[in-house]
Amino acid sequence: MVKANGITLHVQRLDPAGPAPVGRTGPTPTAVLIHGMASDTMASWYFTMAEPLTRAGFPTVLYDLRGHGRSDRPATGYALDDFVDDLAALLVELDVTGPLLLFGNSFGGTIAFGYAARHPDRVAGIVAVESSPPTPEWMRRVRMRLERVAARLPREGALAEIGAARGRIAARRAADTGRMLAETTMTAELPASRLPAGDALAAIACPVLCLYGGDSAVGELAPAVQGLLPQTRVVVLPDEKHSVLIDRPDSVRRHVLAWLGEECGLDVAPPVTT
Amino acid sequence: MAAAQDSILADLTEMINAVLGDFATDQVITMDTTFRDDLGMESIDVVSLAGRLQARYGDTVNFAHFVAKLDLETVGELRVGQLVDHIATSLEGDGVPAGSR
Repeated sequence: MVKANGITLHVQRLDPAGPAPVGRTGPTPTAVLIHGMASDTMASWYFTMAEPLTRAGFPTVLYDLRGHGRSDRPATGYALDDFVDDLAALLVELDVTGPLLLFGNSFGGTIAFGYAARHPDRVAGIVAVESSPPTPEWMRRVRMRLERVAARLPREGALAEIGAARGRIAARRAADTGRMLAETTMTAELPASRLPAGDALAAIACPVLCLYGGDSAVGELAPAVQGLLPQTRVVVLPDEKHSVLIDRPDSVRRHVLAWLGEECGLDVAPPVTT
Repeated sequence: MAAAQDSILADLTEMINAVLGDFATDQVITMDTTFRDDLGMESIDVVSLAGRLQARYGDTVNFAHFVAKLDLETVGELRVGQLVDHIATSLEGDGVPAGSR
């Protein structure tokens, strides 16, 4: 647990298993893994990417966003700037001073782009899964999604339905998401966030990898992302949904490790599975 | 069950109850207890337990490495005994008898 930006955040750090691969030059970036909004936690990254990244030689930081998982849940403070402030303060508290590789799932990717717009010199690369930089069109979709969840969960029988379809733990998590949306201003505050200026976003010069599920509507935003950040490599995984990180961690790992070598100059030994 | 395993299971039981907090059950935790179905642990609870293990045993017990072979679905099917055995093996490999920590 780390106190940052006035709240307590649940943080996990994993150190690299060994030295950086032979031949890699320059400072090794720290990987920071940012989960998505509402029903997500750092677990989505912990059980998919964290270990492979440490094996590839990167110190890795994971945290639960405010309101989520085991971090504090203040009643207000859920605009994009608040999440970016939390990340910036957390890195100071952890004394992470070098370059960063930011990984974001869904809205976590948006936080990564928001941080990079403010601190372009710190970010060595961005991996965004089913995500977009903070643009008005993306925020419109975030609003629709949040409002749909906020309307559905309090309905009588909604949790029982989730429990019947997906089990008791899914129902418990949905109940917690419902409490978060009821107890905080997130549903109203997040979609109304002040957005970074377009030129601040366009000034992000680091390599960017955007992964999408072929069956998810979020991929419709890919051309706009490439229009804004032409260096972006877009990968669409056919037949996958918004939950592609959890459903296809093997494919996500493969594309990430290839991109690190090809676009970021961070060659990684192929992870050995024992 | 070896003495080392016995003491690890006791340690682990304490950590699991701390992680579950209000959700802790009254049931006795054994080597056959499953994290998801018996204890009702969510994936984030397992991450929290991993953090406690790291604090308790240091990097000798590489929990992230251990669970990396699982995915989010199968991590729930994990039994307490599998984790106890992993910890015991890791500590033995380190040359320090588990009971002496």
